[in-house]
Amino acid sequence: MMEKIKAFLKKYQLIVLIVVGILFVVAPLIINGTVKKSNYVIDIMVRILFYIIFASSLNVINGYSGQFNIGHAGFMLIGSYTGALLATKLGMGGPWYWLAIPIAGLVTALAGLLVALPTLKLRGIYLAIVTLGFSEIIRIVAMNWTAVTNGPLGVKNIPKVWLFGISKTSSPLVMYYIVFAFVILCLYTTYKVINSRVGRAWMSIREDSAASMSLGVEVGKYKAINFMYGAFWAGIGGALMAVYYRFISADMFIVDEGFNVLAMVILGGQGTLVGPIIGAVMVNMITEFFRFADEFRLVFYAILIIMMMWMRPQGLAGASNSVLAGKQIKKNDKKKSKHAAKKERV
Amino acid sequence: MYVLQQLLNGICQGSIYALMAIGYAMIYGIVGLVTFTYGEIIMMGSFSAFYYFMAFGDNLVLSLICGFATAALVGIVVHKVCYQRFLDAPRHISLICTIGMSMLIKNLAIIVFGSTMKGLPIFFEGKTLVLAEKTVEGFHQQLSLTYLQIVVIVTVIVLAIALSLFLNKTRTGVRLRAVSQDRKAAALVGVNVKNTTLLGNCIGCGFGGVAGILLGLYYNSIIPTMGGAAGMKAFSSVVIGGLSNIPGAALGGISIGVIENLGIAFIPNGSGYRDVFAFVFLIIALVIKPEGLFAKRGNNA
Amino acid sequence: MSVILESKNVSKHFGGIKAVNHVDMKIEKGDIFGIIGPNGAGKTTFFNVCSGTIPATEGQVYFKGELITGKSPAQIARRGLARTFQNIKLFNYMTVLENVKIGFHMHTSTNLFDAVLNNKKFKRDEEFAIEEGKKIIEKVGLLDYMDVQAGNLAYGVQRRVEIARALALNPDILLLDEPAAGMNPNETRDLLEFVKMLNNDGYTIAVIEHDMKFVMNLCKNIMVLNFGTKICEGDAEHVKNDPKVHEAYFGKGTTL
Repeated sequence: MMEKIKAFLKKYQLIVLIVVGILFVVAPLIINGTVKKSNYVIDIMVRILFYIIFASSLNVINGYSGQFNIGHAGFMLIGSYTGALLATKLGMGGPWYWLAIPIAGLVTALAGLLVALPTLKLRGIYLAIVTLGFSEIIRIVAMNWTAVTNGPLGVKNIPKVWLFGISKTSSPLVMYYIVFAFVILCLYTTYKVINSRVGRAWMSIREDSAASMSLGVEVGKYKAINFMYGAFWAGIGGALMAVYYRFISADMFIVDEGFNVLAMVILGGQGTLVGPIIGAVMVNMITEFFRFADEFRLVFYAILIIMMMWMRPQGLAGASNSVLAGKQIKKNDKKKSKHAAKKERV
Repeated sequence: MYVLQQLLNGICQGSIYALMAIGYAMIYGIVGLVTFTYGEIIMMGSFSAFYYFMAFGDNLVLSLICGFATAALVGIVVHKVCYQRFLDAPRHISLICTIGMSMLIKNLAIIVFGSTMKGLPIFFEGKTLVLAEKTVEGFHQQLSLTYLQIVVIVTVIVLAIALSLFLNKTRTGVRLRAVSQDRKAAALVGVNVKNTTLLGNCIGCGFGGVAGILLGLYYNSIIPTMGGAAGMKAFSSVVIGGLSNIPGAALGGISIGVIENLGIAFIPNGSGYRDVFAFVFLIIALVIKPEGLFAKRGNNA
Repeated sequence: MSVILESKNVSKHFGGIKAVNHVDMKIEKGDIFGIIGPNGAGKTTFFNVCSGTIPATEGQVYFKGELITGKSPAQIARRGLARTFQNIKLFNYMTVLENVKIGFHMHTSTNLFDAVLNNKKFKRDEEFAIEEGKKIIEKVGLLDYMDVQAGNLAYGVQRRVEIARALALNPDILLLDEPAAGMNPNETRDLLEFVKMLNNDGYTIAVIEHDMKFVMNLCKNIMVLNFGTKICEGDAEHVKNDPKVHEAYFGKGTTL
């Protein structure tokens, strides 16, 4: 019976993905031209797409390997600044930007490694604080290192990107599909990696890293790889942002922005592919709804987060079969009384 | 002389951080959970003083009491929402809950108090106690402490001693220490663990509230978003000191204060990077000695 | 007979407490070796030192002739030393098959890029993990539970899953820490037969146990620890009759 339900849910997940996917493909075409202010709507949809990349990459770190990164904004910043600076200062604008995007991803992955390395042995809360610190430090550096980053003025006039030969590809609609293509790529690669030996190693670290080690999994190495992977996609997303908005500055990446992405993962669901997508859509819808009063929006998120922790810690579409869900699996209690359950150390 | 003055400033500022750190260490020691809400509790303490001053006039001591009480009350709410339910759950759940709570308090504060800076009344009119003077190459240098600085240091010392006496010499204090060492054992010897945990949390928050007022007086301004940096410094101090090691936390706080002031003094354009010092120090400390620089046994963490 | 696991003068101190005190041990290939002793004797700590989970304060551990003290648990596991834990450390939310699949980690080598490119290595490794996993599960007699969440199983079954997962390492030695703990007599009997079968299949086994009947019926060689020190060593008969062992368990002045 349980197996039938599980199979149904798995199939259901796929259906949701397909439906949402089709929606995202078809909607802009319909909206463009029919709805007034169509550019505005498409703009919101592109923003959701960006956040899907950010939330999904954060989810790989927090949801799949169980590490605690709350400074994702830092990686987003590095990606977008790398792309922007490559385009403006090293002339990699226009069609060359296609090269700049993966470079930005790799640079951010390197940053991920640098953050992960000193923290491999640290437990959850310490890692969280270090990631927060990193995110703030990077922002302050970007804000003050005027020589390289233009300081608080940010980087502007980032050249549009276009496909070789086709000149009219910088309209919002085309940019939308370009970003969409990257989203598909991100989700696909994440799906493949999660369902491989690497993904299993990550999940074993999340569930019980001592047991994982005793089975030969090099926990440190895989934690680092995990960070690099998440950082890579955050970097790609950042580079795409740079060329879409054509202007970036350090205050687009304040700590609150990192919390924003974290909220998407927490609310939408950790440890599943669909979770961050739902989170990104949900949070952005809420943002639109609360356009008139920003502080109330944050109050609303806060209440949602608290409620979510009370009712369903893994998030709406999160992995129920994981320590993320917080429930203790009921073992045969009388047999366990001899051996006191060791508390999970974060 | 300049260096000495900065050092003195650092110790003074550091003592405020030390107070916060002591409060945080108490909460961590007794509740056993890490929290993100401490900064907001510090902030609430300072705002309660602001409104106290507006309503009842410039009585410093009473305002400190008011701050203590307000922070403790907020602490009760935080405890009921974020800690009590999750004491035995995986740690990340309470952590995320405190992140949400911190967002909640901060933004409610922005809505209710307004998002602009507010000033606290000025005490002691900037009178200073000059400790030493010297004239070097035509420049008159002074080593001095403002009366406010003296009051700050004295307040922190008094509170620290009071806490120490309370924890070591009273029955309640013993109960608190018992719970911080082993909840189950404490329950077995008849300690009301639930209430004691709440009490420990409230005392810790109260200290934070007082620290908030001192911060506000020191910088002459408070703003609802001040919690973030303050909480970070409290946490850094505690980690450096060894998590539930109270004297270590105090030392950690003082060292952060000193490093901040020396850093600002000697690095050009340093003040923009003020908050970064605590972070960088923390990260370096964690990498070198994950149990905390001043940790004693290092197996509580 | 070659010595597969050896400890020389191994000690582990926690501050002033000498949890393990100058213990020498030799386990021969193919043996079923028992480690017994009263509660708190330091047996699990000793295992932890051997498997690299905690560092030794003093002494060396040799596995298949190679010095392994100071290596990480993952490195030691890779060399063929598998262990189970006193309070069963299964991945409770994963199925039995998924648990065992992770045991194959060191026998497969797919990396990030292989997974993304969906290449031959990836496909081969996935098939390997599933096929070999099923084989092991069948061998331990748990085929019916293959897709059940590990945490939902009965205690006795969970223990077998943990052992199955350890077997996925294809280990040269299997360290079992109190495998019979919390089991009723039927489960214990089944476990006894199971461990004997494993030994017949060629696995060297070291067992920490409290259950005397279990140890005496199972182990060819036994070592007795008390307060961290080895007080006796030998076969079952020898240990049963040793006065020091009686004293450790029952106190002075008792006869059996």
